[in-house]
Amino acid sequence: MIDEPPPILGTWLRLYTAVLVYLVVLIALFYWFGQAWT
Amino acid sequence: MRFFDWVVLLLTLGGVIFYGLWRARGSNTTDKYLRAGRTMPWYAMALSIMATQASAITFISTTGQAYVDGMRFVQFYLGLPIAMVILSVTAVPIFHRANVYTAYEYLEQRFDSKVRLLVSILFLIQRGLAVGLALSAPAIVLTVILGWSAEVTTVFMGVTVIIYTAMGGVKAITWTDFYQMLIMMFGLAVALVTAIWLLPTEVGFLGALEVAGGAGKINPIVTAFSWNDRYNLWSGIFGGMFLALSYFGCDQSQVQRYLTGSSITQSRLSLLFNAVAKLPMQFVILLTGCIVFAFFTYNQPPLLFQKHAQSSIEKAAEYPELKARYDAAFAKRRAAAENISRDKTAYQEAAAEFEVVRKDGSLLAERVLGEKGFNDTNYIFLNFVTTYLPVGLVGLVISAILGAAMSTIAGEINSLATVSIVDVYRRYLNKNAHDQHYLWAARFATAFWGIYAVVTAQFARNMGSLVEAVNLLGSFFYGGILGVFVLAMYTKRVGPWAAFIGVLAGEAAIFTLHFSGMASFLWYNVIGCLVVIAVGLGLSFVEKKQPA
Repeated sequence: MIDEPPPILGTWLRLYTAVLVYLVVLIALFYWFGQAWT
Repeated sequence: MRFFDWVVLLLTLGGVIFYGLWRARGSNTTDKYLRAGRTMPWYAMALSIMATQASAITFISTTGQAYVDGMRFVQFYLGLPIAMVILSVTAVPIFHRANVYTAYEYLEQRFDSKVRLLVSILFLIQRGLAVGLALSAPAIVLTVILGWSAEVTTVFMGVTVIIYTAMGGVKAITWTDFYQMLIMMFGLAVALVTAIWLLPTEVGFLGALEVAGGAGKINPIVTAFSWNDRYNLWSGIFGGMFLALSYFGCDQSQVQRYLTGSSITQSRLSLLFNAVAKLPMQFVILLTGCIVFAFFTYNQPPLLFQKHAQSSIEKAAEYPELKARYDAAFAKRRAAAENISRDKTAYQEAAAEFEVVRKDGSLLAERVLGEKGFNDTNYIFLNFVTTYLPVGLVGLVISAILGAAMSTIAGEINSLATVSIVDVYRRYLNKNAHDQHYLWAARFATAFWGIYAVVTAQFARNMGSLVEAVNLLGSFFYGGILGVFVLAMYTKRVGPWAAFIGVLAGEAAIFTLHFSGMASFLWYNVIGCLVVIAVGLGLSFVEKKQPA
């Protein structure tokens, strides 16, 4: 089976890193949301 | 439900099922029936994976859970994106290159047949028990909206799913899931927007957040750590990651979705889409529960959301006094909510007092109905939808809930049938039959597991919050199964006996943890997995090497 590059960001490593950065940002946003309304 | 709601419901559900069956025409070999001939694009698999995981329980129970316990349940999914990245790196290419029908088939390639059989049986037990729970949730929906008995509703739902699953196989399921997921997302957005729109004009969205936040419901991130706290940042990231690794990497109901991919890239993209979309979706579902909480702060809800329980306690001698307390507690909470910006403490005290009266109502229901641990969490969102949503939208939201239920049940009975036929029947009972024989055996097995689900659903209705029951049940087995896949994929020295005994030791550790009450269920996956790895690696030093 051929391991093709992803359709965005060029390499799989960059795409995986982007997903993990997105998770960190999301946790920060959830935390801020909770602090703002509690 | 009014006439137009029925039209919307029947058109959306019926249309999706017929479309799925049309797309699945020509599934006339076991490869096409069980793996869609490995032709599926990433977006169909991605939404099918989401739809399989997002059951009716997600809509009914999660919104209710936000109403009762706040938004902290969202942390359960924090480990999911990490797990998706790990699986994209490891499991996806391994399964694709092994050219397997089931995840457990790979275990025989790596270890031997007894490890494959043990893990297949663990899967059949775990998923077989959970499928009844997944079917009982939509039965709750139909019981509320149609007034049918729960027995009739489970049979109606079960038979509908069995027909399209047995006829079209995994391709029908995937395309049906795809459109059901789109309807779910639309239905969810409609429910949230309508809940906001129905709030008093002077309250609005921000006022609703203030009311829900004041009652402690806006708590998506809890940083304090406790072994026995089910939902906090740490149990979510670590425990949730292990659970997601087990569910998406070792549970055939999910693995079968991305085994249908036309390439490794397509399968990876389907998982990464889930990594990005799942958390926001759960957040919106829980936020909807919080908005419903705010709505019921200004509009008096029934003391109990389950109609049957409410009418039963109304006949009790204590009810008039309880009702008077309830009315007073509601009026006090509402007045305090209107004054929340000036005196938050008074609102919090009034909200706590209201909860005490509701708890007394539940205790009365326990006594009157003879149901230990009475819980009406699963009825909260349904009560809101059927009582307050405008005509047409009720049909749409109910259609989203039923679509969610059907996609989950279809995926589960399809995976149970696949494991039964590929890992047990074709491997041990009838090794050399014609392909058409296995195709019909798979159809028969699908019908069998569907009927089994209908029967077990009869026992699943009074298990409290269904979403927690499903996750708890999964956690009994996922850690052990994940551990053996870690040994298979990441070690070379561990042999079949070490892996086999490792799984048994992991399961023993999980059940010991549960019955001793030493840790919350999210940790079962972590600890069970680590015990399998430790025992497997330890025994590998004494296990005699097989001759090459």
